[in-house]
Amino acid sequence: MFFNSLQFAIFLPIVFIFYWFFANKSRKYQNFILILASYYFYSCWDWRFLFLLVFSTLLDYFSAIKIEGSQTKSSKKFWLWLCISINLGFLGIFKYYNFFAESFAELLNGFGFHTNPVLLNLILPVGISFYTFHGLSYIIDIYYGRIKSERNFVDYSLFVSYFPLLVAGPIERATHLLPQLKVKREFNFEKAKEGVYQIIWGLVKKVVIADSCAIYANEIFDNHNSMNSLSLILGAVYFAFQIYGDFSGYSDIALGTSKLFGIDLLKNFNYPYFSRDIAEFWRRWHISLSSWFRDYLYIPLGGSKGSILFQVRNTFIIFLVSGFWHGANWTFIAWGLINAIYFLPLLLLNRNRKNLDNFTLGLNSSSIRILFNIFSTFCLSTLAWIFFRSKTIHDAIAYIQRMFTNFSFKEEYLAIERYNHNLITLLLIFILVEWFNRTKVEPISGKYSWLKMSFCIGAILALGVFSDYKEFIYFQF
Amino acid sequence: MKQFLFFIGKTILILFISLIALDFLYTGVYLQSNSRSKIDHLYQSKNKKYDVVFLGSSRVNNHFVPKLFHEKGYKTFNFGITRSRLEESALMLKLMMERNYSIDTLILQVDLNINTNDHSEAIRSLFMPYLHQSEIIREHYKSIPEYNKLLYIPFYRYMYYDNRIGFREMYNAAIQRETNALYNDGFYPLKTDKRPMVPADLTKYYPKRNKAYEEIKAICKQNNITLIAMTTPMCAETINRDYFNHIHEIYPEIYRMEDTVIDDKYFSTCGHMNEKGAIAFTKIVFDKFFKPKTKS
Repeated sequence: MFFNSLQFAIFLPIVFIFYWFFANKSRKYQNFILILASYYFYSCWDWRFLFLLVFSTLLDYFSAIKIEGSQTKSSKKFWLWLCISINLGFLGIFKYYNFFAESFAELLNGFGFHTNPVLLNLILPVGISFYTFHGLSYIIDIYYGRIKSERNFVDYSLFVSYFPLLVAGPIERATHLLPQLKVKREFNFEKAKEGVYQIIWGLVKKVVIADSCAIYANEIFDNHNSMNSLSLILGAVYFAFQIYGDFSGYSDIALGTSKLFGIDLLKNFNYPYFSRDIAEFWRRWHISLSSWFRDYLYIPLGGSKGSILFQVRNTFIIFLVSGFWHGANWTFIAWGLINAIYFLPLLLLNRNRKNLDNFTLGLNSSSIRILFNIFSTFCLSTLAWIFFRSKTIHDAIAYIQRMFTNFSFKEEYLAIERYNHNLITLLLIFILVEWFNRTKVEPISGKYSWLKMSFCIGAILALGVFSDYKEFIYFQF
Repeated sequence: MKQFLFFIGKTILILFISLIALDFLYTGVYLQSNSRSKIDHLYQSKNKKYDVVFLGSSRVNNHFVPKLFHEKGYKTFNFGITRSRLEESALMLKLMMERNYSIDTLILQVDLNINTNDHSEAIRSLFMPYLHQSEIIREHYKSIPEYNKLLYIPFYRYMYYDNRIGFREMYNAAIQRETNALYNDGFYPLKTDKRPMVPADLTKYYPKRNKAYEEIKAICKQNNITLIAMTTPMCAETINRDYFNHIHEIYPEIYRMEDTVIDDKYFSTCGHMNEKGAIAFTKIVFDKFFKPKTKS
């Protein structure tokens, strides 16, 4: 059941009615309705994986109690590592086993040993990377004594399986979500209205921007060997907006949906393409994952303490792991590596925390510099997205090579019966709307909200892509 | 909560009004358009009189040259549409009858398209703007699963087929941007030859009795139209030419024309002749079935 499906449009009001009209007497009922809805939501993909989700929940739940109850540090450590190993073990088998087996076989073949690796024919359980990370953050927080273990199993299950965030995040923290689940939620009109606006804007991003870009980007990436420089540049730009519209659109729908139930989720995107450098980009893109890696990997590794070499090592680890988290393919690792390389000069010059403030533009040279920085950061991230989108590293290199050597900027008519520039106007309008609303969660609220909402609904209906249905990209991770 | 329910009610109202307004807008635009496709051209025309009409897929669109018929005194139009199947050809013929066309002879391509009773989603979509206006189109599609949604939910048809009749197409129709579909009286010549030529493989093809073809035969009989159903040329390298024998076994009345032009120089691809091939083939067809008459 996708957020942009008719099923979800029926499912959501039903859950809403049960939640606010039949279960509003106590938080227990509210949580019970949400957990039932969440398990139903998850089983719509593949009910068999529900067992895996419940197992993972039980494992984290009992491990947390054991860690908290342990008298000695070694016992605490034992339960922590047992839980981490099993969680990562599942993730490893489902997501990474074939990659490691194939890579190892290739390595041996390189040394002259011919091997045929045993590969597993497994379907990746949807959302496994997300709920595994939910559980891990909880366990690690318990271990460090940041929170108390949750004894109510329904509440804990809901923290892991809450349907708006179950399949593609945001990756929540127990310290943020669990306290909200421990109190009865009262209906708040303003919050619910904001939720509806956010859902509508998320749908605009997904079905109008991302899915339209996908049609062009797929065509250009799949046939990059025969495209000219202009098409290849546009293909990369289209993919940059596809992945942004897709994932931030999904996040908006998730956050908006959750607001309808009176629960706030962590913000996942903050207009990343208006970043002035790569460090700022990573503070604004997939925030819940970046901050997860910062808190549970970068800081335990030593973070920015120690020598510069030590910091560089930690930075590379973070970006490589982040790339690998996205999928078992060298292209994701390359994408992480490229971002680490982009980050390196900022780290060495101690400028990685330079652009923390908001900016305003005027008619002066510093505004031109800001705009130039935003443009160059976008170009850098778009170049890195080519690796993320390509099927193999070889394809990505061939794509970039052709982009910079073909030097033909003639308009091409694509096999999908469209000119490759057709989307530019739509993207420019989208950029302007985002730019002028970059201090807000979504652009609909405020003055003339009814008019703006009508435009958005009109855009979804008239410009949305419905016949060439696309799944959310991050569901595969 | 009351306030929120009121808010949701207003939002749903906006949604509903948008659906109706957009449906009116799109349909209005398509009803004014007659230069984008052969279907809108057909829908916008009335009381036309043709000596010969061609129907079928790209193997008609690229293979029959109306000009050669005109030179011999025959009024013709090539209504072949790339990707269309016999189901869409049948609907086009029904629509011609509804628009009060007078046709003496119908040349129908029946070869690869008889392999299936299925339809073409791409071509079906082009009929959808006229769903409310044409009883024939409604009647033709009333048994498809989405029929009720397409007919009764405003704007649903334009969302369902957005790839073909969505915003881009509506916009092009609104500014009356022409396509080449109607040039040369519907004939689209292929000018380039793709080499090396990849042989067409018909091993997976097997002709079946075809509902739409039977329907076309019945319409022709009912309206005194002479039906000439024929196969059209394929290149010599085609794998499993036996397929054409099977067609003949099922429908002996279908004229076998697949071997009339076989030289590679006449083919753009194995299944589509180039302009030279189309001219040669049209001449063969004319000489076999027609006699020159004085232009009126």
